[in-house]
Amino acid sequence: MNVLELRGVTRAYEKGVNVLDNVDLTVAQGEVIGLLGRNGAGKTTLLRIAMGLLEPQGGSVSVLGLDPRQQPLDVKRQVGYVSEDQTLPSFLSVTEAIDLHRRLYPGWDDALAHELSSRFQMKSDQKLKNLSKGQARQVSLLCAVCHRPPLLLLDEPAGGLDPAMRREFLETAIQMLGESGTTILFSSHHMTDVERLASRLVMIHDGQKWIDSDLDDVREGYCLVMIPADSAPDSAAILSHPRCLTVRRRDDAVRAVFELEPDEALRVATGELGLTDARSMPLNLEDMFIELVGGGRS
Amino acid sequence: MVEHGTRHRVERATRKDRNMLFMVDPHSGVPIFRQIMEQVKLAIAAGKLAPGDDLPSVRSLAVPLGVNPMTISKAYNLLEREGILTRRPGRPLMVADLPEAQLGAHRLGELENLLRPAARLARRLDIETDDAVALLRRLLTETEES
Repeated sequence: MNVLELRGVTRAYEKGVNVLDNVDLTVAQGEVIGLLGRNGAGKTTLLRIAMGLLEPQGGSVSVLGLDPRQQPLDVKRQVGYVSEDQTLPSFLSVTEAIDLHRRLYPGWDDALAHELSSRFQMKSDQKLKNLSKGQARQVSLLCAVCHRPPLLLLDEPAGGLDPAMRREFLETAIQMLGESGTTILFSSHHMTDVERLASRLVMIHDGQKWIDSDLDDVREGYCLVMIPADSAPDSAAILSHPRCLTVRRRDDAVRAVFELEPDEALRVATGELGLTDARSMPLNLEDMFIELVGGGRS
Repeated sequence: MVEHGTRHRVERATRKDRNMLFMVDPHSGVPIFRQIMEQVKLAIAAGKLAPGDDLPSVRSLAVPLGVNPMTISKAYNLLEREGILTRRPGRPLMVADLPEAQLGAHRLGELENLLRPAARLARRLDIETDDAVALLRRLLTETEES
């Protein structure tokens, strides 16, 4: 059974403007999916639909075989969710917030809660409203993982965290993977976190999935080809190659992303496409993100 | 057994130090599983890991390195497939019983990997072969003296 299954999920906030447009996503047990996309691409919408906080206008959702619309409580018991914004009542103290969750979840693990409280150096008596954004995020994370849910949905879990806190978050996620085989779907703009944690990459853009692939295949299967602008008069011809994803013109160069290894892409560029002076190079995740969904594409 | 070259100067990593043989750099442009594979090979080539030595467990490496355990498993599995590591039921993975000739080839292979980009750069900069070889010779002599 898949841990999460979205089929043809469509959601609009404004009539005719689909934030998610017919999106399919299947997540197997133990997978860690890094969800990438620009702000407004639909990452939060996708996570909220998976959590059952938002209903899709089209398509179906299944979480551990359950329908979040039909069995919302059963779904919430088995999912740990950290939202982009603070959603815990701000008048509670840290201890009270943790206590509330302990009562809500039958499988609450006190030992893990203690371990994380001390790792995060939590200020138990402080009211949530007096915490920094990062500290509040750590409380949310603790509350999301201590019932050891089989599925974690994390919306920008590292947003607002300083580098030391980000590392603690990462170690906590890795601990959950090692101890419980947790499945994780997380959105992030921190490409190094994605590279360290994710086994699979899903990039959404314009409401649709652009890339859905094993992280290492993405790292080694895509590259950037740069051609001096005067040797590449026709961007459309490059883009029409079946392995070319995007073409951008920047300054005096044409930059094209190919779904090929660098050596192969260079052979295609100089051979099939007849582009002289082309160079090809591997792409790290951050550059790939910018090349694929940054501005100035043709 | 005859020790030759500089090998006797290399200290084998103790069991406790073996976790410290590994470091990952997510910025480097090389996928993390490849970085780990390379570091195991380098540690073997440098004599820090010898045939029969246990590798650190996937779980003991994952948290300190800050890396998904599956990435480390993947690196170990590929090294096993290459015959560099051996799996025994219920025991940690260990360095395979590689013949001395193969270890020598590994050491040269590691150096070749580092020198290949240098050779490409030398060609791009139009440096004469004799000058490049002389430079390497000088660096080797300097390292020996220090």
